[in-house]
Order: sequence, then structure tokens, then C-alpha cells
Amino acid sequence: MTAWAAVAAVLAGGVAAVIRYGVTLAFAGRFLPWAVLVVNVVGSALGGAVVALSSMGGMDAGLRLVVLGGVAGGLTTFSTWSVETVQLARSGRYWIAVGNVAVNLAAGLTAASVAWNVTTAILLFPMGRA
Amino acid sequence: MSVLAVFLGGMIGTALRLGGDALLPHEAHAFPWSTLAINVLGSFVLGMLVTRVWPVAPAWLRAGLGAGVLGSFTTFSAVIVSLLEMEGAGDALGALFYAVASVVLGLAAAAAGLAFGRRPMPGEGRA
Repeated sequence: MTAWAAVAAVLAGGVAAVIRYGVTLAFAGRFLPWAVLVVNVVGSALGGAVVALSSMGGMDAGLRLVVLGGVAGGLTTFSTWSVETVQLARSGRYWIAVGNVAVNLAAGLTAASVAWNVTTAILLFPMGRA
Repeated sequence: MSVLAVFLGGMIGTALRLGGDALLPHEAHAFPWSTLAINVLGSFVLGMLVTRVWPVAPAWLRAGLGAGVLGSFTTFSAVIVSLLEMEGAGDALGALFYAVASVVLGLAAAAAGLAFGRRPMPGEGRA
């Protein structure tokens, strides 16, 4: 299980990087750093759903590694976020830099928290167990 | 060409991150040292690449190393998941410390990398 899950997670990380790259191209040239925000929020929501599923026994460790470590980990990025923030500050756009940190964190936490609660509610819904 | 480079780089970055997690494993509610180290290291290296390598690198190499390797090596979702798990386990102070440490060290590393990449290499810029 573990070896195959690791291989699948690495492959998923490659695919997720291509999706993130596509999002970056789609938002290229915008004044605000939308691309990183979009992938980080979507990936965080996915992470919240995975944690809810695995904590309720709905997901084994191998699949968790593929979806959380591969898909969500590969889709989201920290390095582009930090480098873009420093570049915004260096170019004098301090408030956009501060906002870039605050909005990514707040939206990421909110998305993950909502996904966690919605997933838990769906799993607890009686019809889901029938 | 660039898309293939991003795919291959994304696999390399993901493998390195999962390797880092395996080297420094942590329980779900414990402080994720591996993720912090990965994000700080990745921020420094990307910053250095942006100022040192990007000006002279072809587009496919920038895509493969930046969007691919460093983009997939570092992770935002793992930070968020750990914050929620730590907070859910009653360790709100630990979660706050982790969030602040990630942001402060990540930004400092990115700034240091950008500055480091701007320094002239030995024998360069003295003519």
C-alpha cells in the first residue's frame, strides 16, 4: 500500500502543479496576486475535507497521502506566496502585501473549516449511512 | 515544453516534500517542523532563483523550477490543516505560534533569498 500510495502521491503532485501553472497563466498580468489565492483556498478546502473524512474512518492512510500530500500539497504553494508578498512590499505596495498575507490565511482557514464541517455533516447524515 | 517541465518539477518537489515529512514525522496535532522547514527553505531558494537565475533562464526552466519544483515542494494546505488540527486539539497557542512562525520566517527567507540572488557572483560586476 505505502509504496503505491507514495508513487501515486508524487504523480498527483505533478498533475496538481500543472493545474496550478494553468491557474497562474489564467491570472497573469493582473494587478493583484489572484492565482496563488485561488489555488491556496481550493487546496485548503480539499485539505479540510480530507481531514474530516479520515478522522471519521472514511479514508485510509494511503488515499489520505495521495489527496492531502499529493493533490492539495502540490496544488497549493507557500514559496510563491512569500516571494510575491516580499516583491509587493519592495515595490511600495505595502498594504497589498499585508492583505496578501491576511487574505490567504483567513480565506484558507475559512475554506478548510467549512469543508471540514460540511464533510462531517454529510457523513453524519443518516441517509449517508444507509 | 513548459507544461512538461512543470509536471516533472511538480513530481520532484512533491517527492522531496514527502521525503522531508518522512524524515521529520509528526503526529496530527503536533508541531509540524517538517512543513515549516520545507516552506522556509523553499521560500529562500525561490527568492534566490527569481533574482539570480530567472533573468538568464529559458521559460521552460523557470516554469519547471519555479512553478514545478518549488511550487510543489512548499505547501500552504498542510499549514492550514495543521492549524485546524492543533486548534481542534485545544492547542490554540501552538497554532498561533505556528502561523506566526510560518509567516515571519517564510517572508524573511524569501527576502533573504531575493537579496542573496542579487549579490554579484565572485569575479562578477567588478569590471
